[in-house]
Amino acid sequence: MNALVVARWTVLEARRRRLLLAGAILSVAFVALFAVGFFLLYQDQQRALAENPAVGAGVLAAREELLAISTILVVLGLYGVQFLAALLGLFLGVASVSPEIDSGALHAVLARPLSRLEYLLGRFLALAGLLTAYVVVMSGSLLLIARVVAGYQPGDVTRVVGLMVLQVLILLAVSLLGSTVLPTLANGVVMLVLFGLAWLGGIIAFVATIPPGNELMANLGTAVSLLLPADAVWRGASYHVLPPSFLVASSFTNGDNVGIPFASTQPLAPAMLAWALAYPVACLSLAVAAFRRRDL
Amino acid sequence: MSRTASPEQAGAVAGTGSGVPAIATSGLHKAYGSRVALHDLTLAVQPGEVFGFLGPNGAGKTTAMKILLGLVRPTGGEALVFGRPPAEPAARRPVGYLPEHFRFQEWATGAELLDFHGRLAGLGAPERAARIPELLERVGLAGRGGERVRRYSKGMTQRLGLALAILHRPELVLLDEPTSALDPMGRREVRELVRELAAAGVTVFLNSHLLTEVEAVCDRVAIVTQGRVVASGPLDDLAGAVAQLRLLLDRVDREVLALVGRHGQVAKVEGTAVTLAVETLDVAPDLARLLVEAGYRLYGLVPVQRSLEDVFVDLVGEVREG
Repeated sequence: MNALVVARWTVLEARRRRLLLAGAILSVAFVALFAVGFFLLYQDQQRALAENPAVGAGVLAAREELLAISTILVVLGLYGVQFLAALLGLFLGVASVSPEIDSGALHAVLARPLSRLEYLLGRFLALAGLLTAYVVVMSGSLLLIARVVAGYQPGDVTRVVGLMVLQVLILLAVSLLGSTVLPTLANGVVMLVLFGLAWLGGIIAFVATIPPGNELMANLGTAVSLLLPADAVWRGASYHVLPPSFLVASSFTNGDNVGIPFASTQPLAPAMLAWALAYPVACLSLAVAAFRRRDL
Repeated sequence: MSRTASPEQAGAVAGTGSGVPAIATSGLHKAYGSRVALHDLTLAVQPGEVFGFLGPNGAGKTTAMKILLGLVRPTGGEALVFGRPPAEPAARRPVGYLPEHFRFQEWATGAELLDFHGRLAGLGAPERAARIPELLERVGLAGRGGERVRRYSKGMTQRLGLALAILHRPELVLLDEPTSALDPMGRREVRELVRELAAAGVTVFLNSHLLTEVEAVCDRVAIVTQGRVVASGPLDDLAGAVAQLRLLLDRVDREVLALVGRHGQVAKVEGTAVTLAVETLDVAPDLARLLVEAGYRLYGLVPVQRSLEDVFVDLVGEVREG
């Protein structure tokens, strides 16, 4: 199948352009930094609580305090992972088609008995595979470190990783769509603006939940999420990072403290999940339709 | 998506014998917005022909070729390659293509590029293993297949491009300005390759603005300018289409111009030399007799061989002025 030939070629390209090597080195550095930081901060807190139990109110409270610290660190670490993966997905998508058109290298390729659908599918499959591996390895490493150091158990590991992968695939698909219709630089700008907007939409949605709550802002946040559901999906993932005991902890339900700004204490709404699943499929379909009509 | 078709099969698909033209277009039209790149192109290239598509830069040659490869969608008319529309991927299986400026993925090595294209063309692993070193050798890149294309010189990239174009033993090879950036040695090598292909019965469609190139290798030519074919036919006919006679006389007066004007059109008068455009060179003996009978002394009567360049410049010039 020619799509697989293109996918194999795309992975070779990533290797030849030292993308894999650079990605691996930076990832190892990020994970190492997280491991050291998590270990030191956790130990610090442990020691402080042991020396001065009055900070918490007794052993139970101390354990809860440690859990809260771990949770915040894990969420922030995974936030870093999803941010890096999101940018990587955008860059790879932006660079997937239009630079090959601009350089003229695509002409000889598409003059072969290769359909445009097969070409786009091959590009997408290869990049999606690389990004999925990246997200799985990175988020898995972080969760493993938290587990070893602090015995941390997230609510649902599969959903955390699955939704983080979905988020990256959404960004890859939308930037690949852009890459079939826009010049590289214009697409890069559009994608960064969209990405920033989605992030802002998430912040708006978060602020809307601060009591007494604001329906208009919540709707605005949802509207932005529909445009690009990446940040909404991350928030959905972050919900499953939280251990069940954390969610029922009084500090998060008494209304004074609604959570961490970059994460969510609410699961992803089923309708938004459906939209997020349909979104990359729709982007790819549009990309194929647009690319078929495009003159090279 | 199928990889079942082997190159042997592709070889057997040749339109020869079946009477299907290698290339057939009718009323082909392409407009980019308000700019028309190609007007009403109708032509047929038979299997085994070496066809030259000749025109100045920007005449629409590349657009026509891209339509034949399914890279560009025509806004009107129809194009068929061995009887099938080139937008169908399978129709492109027997086609080899050398793009203008031979642009390829520069991060790859020559051998990797050949392997990738071999897979896309449906060559199996054993065939690729045998064919790729053989091709590298043939185009003079033996031992250089492991180097990145980025490090190749222009000449080497062109050789690689030719290897890619003939990789799967195509029945039809489309060459877009194959020599425009090359030195004389490179040009000669391309000419030799085209002759070899022609000898093997492969149809060649050559885009060029270089007349000598086309004159040297092509059987038939179409001259295109501003998106229109202004002349086409076998090379000899085209160059000889407008014959000229050059007359050297003792004197040139109104009477003699009137006399020769009955047999052709006076193109030029220089001193006592008259250049006459005639429909056929057969008028020469009669003209000589008439001139002598009328009392003129005839020092010379020479048919002027018009080169393709003269024809080209005349035709392209006319369109530009018109």
